[in-house]
Amino acid sequence: MKQVVVHPERCVGCMQCMLACATAHSRSLTLFAAVQETPQPKPRIHVGAGRFNEGFPNRCRHCDPAPCQMACLAGAIYRRDSVDTVMINPDRCINCASCAMACPYGVIRFHEDPLGPSGHAIAVKCDNCSARVAKGQTPACVEICKAGALTYEEMDAAMRRKTRAVAHSMSTDADPSAIPAGVALLKSIKQSELQLSGS
Amino acid sequence: MFDPRESLSVTQDGDRLFAKAQQDGVETVWERHEAQQPQCGFCDMGLSCRICIMGPCRVDPFGEGPQTGVCGADADIIVARNLCRMIAAGAASHSDHGRDLVEVLAGVADGSAIGYKIRDEAKLRRLAEEYGVATEDKKPLVIAGELAQAMMEDYGMRQKAVKMVARAPKKRRAVWEKFGLTPRGIDRETSEMMHRTHMGVDNNWQSLLLQAMRNSLSDGWGGSMIATEVSDILFGVPTPRPTTVNAGVLKDDQVNIVVHGHNPVVSEMVSKACQDKALVDLAKEKGAGGINLVGVCCTGNELLMRRGIAMAGNHLMTELILSTGAVDMMIVDYQCIMPSLGKVAACYHTRMVSTSDKAKFPHMAHHEFHPHNAEKKAVEVVRSAVENYVNRGKVLIPVTSQEAVGGFSVEAILGALGGTPEPLIEAIKAGKIRGAVGIVGCNNPKIKHDYGHVTLTRRLIENDILVVDTGCVAVATAKAGFKVPAAADMAGPGLKAICNALGIPPVLHMGSCVDNVRILVLVSALADALGIDISDLPVAGSAPEWYSEKAVTIGTYFVASGVTTHLGPMPPITGSMNVVNLLTSGLKDVVGATFAVEPDPEKAAVFLRRTIEGKRKALGLDARSVD
Amino acid sequence: MKHVIIGNGIAGVCATEAIRLLDATADITLIGDETFPPYSRPMISQVLDGSQPHGKLPIRSEHFYDEQNITPLLGRRAGGIDVANRQVLMADDTRIDFDRLLIASGADPRPLKAEGLDLKNIFYMRTQDHAKQQVAALDGARRAVVLGGGLVGFKAAYGLLKRGLAVTMLITSGYPLSMQVDETAGRMILDELVCHGLTVEVGVSVCAFEGNGSVQAAVTDAGTRLPCDMVIIGKGVLPCRTFIPKGQIEVDLGVVVDERLQTRVPGIYAAGDVAEMVDIARGCRWVNALWPEAACQGRVAGLNMAGRPVAYPGSLSRNVMRVFDLDVLTVGNANPSKDAGCRVLQSGGVAQQYYRRLVFRDDVLVGAVMINRIEQGGVLRSLIENRMPIRVPPETLMTPGFNFGRLLY
Repeated sequence: MKQVVVHPERCVGCMQCMLACATAHSRSLTLFAAVQETPQPKPRIHVGAGRFNEGFPNRCRHCDPAPCQMACLAGAIYRRDSVDTVMINPDRCINCASCAMACPYGVIRFHEDPLGPSGHAIAVKCDNCSARVAKGQTPACVEICKAGALTYEEMDAAMRRKTRAVAHSMSTDADPSAIPAGVALLKSIKQSELQLSGS
Repeated sequence: MFDPRESLSVTQDGDRLFAKAQQDGVETVWERHEAQQPQCGFCDMGLSCRICIMGPCRVDPFGEGPQTGVCGADADIIVARNLCRMIAAGAASHSDHGRDLVEVLAGVADGSAIGYKIRDEAKLRRLAEEYGVATEDKKPLVIAGELAQAMMEDYGMRQKAVKMVARAPKKRRAVWEKFGLTPRGIDRETSEMMHRTHMGVDNNWQSLLLQAMRNSLSDGWGGSMIATEVSDILFGVPTPRPTTVNAGVLKDDQVNIVVHGHNPVVSEMVSKACQDKALVDLAKEKGAGGINLVGVCCTGNELLMRRGIAMAGNHLMTELILSTGAVDMMIVDYQCIMPSLGKVAACYHTRMVSTSDKAKFPHMAHHEFHPHNAEKKAVEVVRSAVENYVNRGKVLIPVTSQEAVGGFSVEAILGALGGTPEPLIEAIKAGKIRGAVGIVGCNNPKIKHDYGHVTLTRRLIENDILVVDTGCVAVATAKAGFKVPAAADMAGPGLKAICNALGIPPVLHMGSCVDNVRILVLVSALADALGIDISDLPVAGSAPEWYSEKAVTIGTYFVASGVTTHLGPMPPITGSMNVVNLLTSGLKDVVGATFAVEPDPEKAAVFLRRTIEGKRKALGLDARSVD
Repeated sequence: MKHVIIGNGIAGVCATEAIRLLDATADITLIGDETFPPYSRPMISQVLDGSQPHGKLPIRSEHFYDEQNITPLLGRRAGGIDVANRQVLMADDTRIDFDRLLIASGADPRPLKAEGLDLKNIFYMRTQDHAKQQVAALDGARRAVVLGGGLVGFKAAYGLLKRGLAVTMLITSGYPLSMQVDETAGRMILDELVCHGLTVEVGVSVCAFEGNGSVQAAVTDAGTRLPCDMVIIGKGVLPCRTFIPKGQIEVDLGVVVDERLQTRVPGIYAAGDVAEMVDIARGCRWVNALWPEAACQGRVAGLNMAGRPVAYPGSLSRNVMRVFDLDVLTVGNANPSKDAGCRVLQSGGVAQQYYRRLVFRDDVLVGAVMINRIEQGGVLRSLIENRMPIRVPPETLMTPGFNFGRLLY
């Protein structure tokens, strides 16, 4: 089964995935209108700065077993095995934040959601874009990422690609740098700047 | 809740005032920089394009996503176009600054610019001659009017070359002619740059960058040079004079007025108003000892160079100065003024005043200055500042001021050398002074405040390299104590001896950012004296902490003039290794100079020393090896 | 294989489900005191404060026992354990054989010694039945006294305040939740409650209740009368272990178990509020009577009982609650003793309406207190639980919304 695979080394920190995710979970489904909605939809993927101010897209890993599911006081979190997705039932959620306390990745947020009960905050996290996938689309974050940091593929396929890349890099006449020169150059400048600042 | 892991500045007042700002709950440029992380890699690499609405587009640096924009522009074109627009913006800024001065010159000529006058008639005449304006038996005001008209021609399309291109050495001009880099008109080159970067015009990344160089030269030998020269005519040619720097120049028992921005057209009038007897008396009535005018950024540098007026800080200090609670008013015109300042000032009693019709800001009272009313407006505004003195709350001026010497115009330097560049050339030939580096540019929160400037300067003078500086750098090195004659002790033996003999510090403050053209004039004089090109001289440039578009333009006109220039932060060009390679290597074969990027000032010092020693060797002078 | 589980709280329920995961046919008997379907005990606070209806408490279906194919013995408690013969003794002298036994008998509210406890509207707060009675007693109640500033007392006071009663909370330490938070956070939390009308008395104990059928006042040691219509006693819980033969199964405060949740007697396990094991943050044995702990311990015990050896790293104190405008999240040991050699980072306070405190022992995080911006508290909990050496600058974890990517390098 295909899943969203994250390749953090490709993330350029543009945060487009956050915009696409929030838009995909809005009522109007376009960015401009989504921003005007009350309550405003919020992203379920969180791009932040890594150690050297590189981008890192932090999303729910849909763990199995899911710590959030086990911690949920209200029994609102459940797993849909058919789509390998851990879901939060907005109508059962009591906004107690026990799930956030359990989540080792910090991907759960609490707010009023356009697709949830009105007037009170609930726990919100990635739902693997189940509505989009049911319509034959890819998850919104994958569709919008132009740097290849988020892909939609079988995990095995992703692993095979990685293995091939590693094997390729080990053969004698392979290009030693798997990272494009410009990317490596900017990265080294940014790291140098941060190290000089005492980070 | 920004918590820098180490101190943010190498300066004491920087660190102490940052702590005060945090305590007072004031947001600064550092918190905002942190909140922006991660900054978008597409933009950082120059790979995002917003030039037309078939876009916006981005190119995937990893080679898998889109490789061209909707129009078909590839990474080279997109990166080049983006850099070109930065240079156009920088050139436009400097050139507009020059334009405003030309307008005042014209206003002095026709009497409409009340309060302004010709301070240096000799320079007026010299410049007029350069512009082909006959000066014999002509009254200064008439010359002024004709010179202003002639300079306005420099801005247009009627000429083959901007007039002061003629100041460059013959060999340099030949290089420009060869590659089509001779700037024809100041506004023309900027306009053509904007045209070329429109969708579907210039789609050759090399020719785009050649135009960018031409555009930058229209600034360096055009707009900026006009700005500096006309400023000298109207307000005086700087001569060496003592001054003081850092936050300690604010006085807890005087009305403190800070001028910020660039054009001396405004700050000179404010300076005059601060000496108005009625206003000084009013200040005393309010309980203040007097009116204390200080500057930040370039307009402060202009006042420092000509009048020895104190400098409270550079770019990253502009918010922190306000957190002393001691600033009764900050008066701004344009460029490098952060729109956050009004919000910061609102946390204290400080009144913020904007003066330029071109530059309005949130939470500032707008008092528009024009040549015909500037003198009057300045008095109004200073009165308001004096009246604000009684509203002060708690004041923290966390340091005592540092002495420094500024005012090293080319005329002053040549004067110190005895009238000709010979003594300097002899010292260079003898190897006592290995060469010279112009350290210029701004601050950037990406680099620890002033760390780049101070470290680089120290390493260079230790190795007998004379340093001249402008802009934010000049404040940094002054604060660090490099600009007193005693600082010669920090220099290597050769440079130390020269400095002691001439009674100058090892680091010479040459002015504001438009005054970078003074460096061009100086190196032209040296090159001419030796009959060589600027690119043969053992000189180099550096902008260790730059941030602005103007800095890109300055760096480009330095390189295009033959001065290899180091940059601390990386410009947005890594998206195209072709562009990177041209700028850092290929340009050698075009203009005899290149860029280099290195955030670490220690490594930059090694690079610059190697560059200088390499030039020495090529000239047949003794050369040291640098490791 | 015959499994017997004493207790149908979350530990027992999770153990059952874990055994069934590995063994669909094993014999499982579940002895439980409460006959109500398995429910979320912490949610009774929300029933008291009015934000959730009593009907939302069940977290398993009422057919849970049938679905899991287990034999329920409800409405009763175990009376003893015959270790040698491997039997559980019930009150009516029935004996239940076991191959594997899980003691998940939970804890009871620590009883108060005072006169007049038999008056109406004096409650402990532990079961759904307590919650039901408390909600019924709200009708006409205007003033309440809450004994205890720990987790139960605190939540009782909060719930009653939200219901609009005038509440007086009697606490022994200077601030509530003194086992979970440090003084700065404690004061912020106390201020928030006081702002919303709470009256607090420190160091005061109640020795008697007065009333005519229903409680009308609580009387303190000093002789003061505190008029009230309702009392909730939240002075901690005691593990239910009186039925356990102490000579054969090691019992300290709770039933002592190893990393497989097993007692000294092979095949006899303990999990949940009754169990005592190494606390990861404190580095010594401790009873952490917390819902998520019980859930995880029950699951691990069940897996071990079903024959899959699974090690549990130890228990860890953790709590999260929303208190009016403050969100509070605590993990581990927030108040190390001065000679423990711990390093403390803290940031924020009342003025910032935000607070974060991190306690490090060497380069390992052992405690955290967060007030507001709690949404990533799980990352800190995970770092503490896994005893991760923190190789990034510790200040990284102090930034309110630090990105997970900051931990990677």
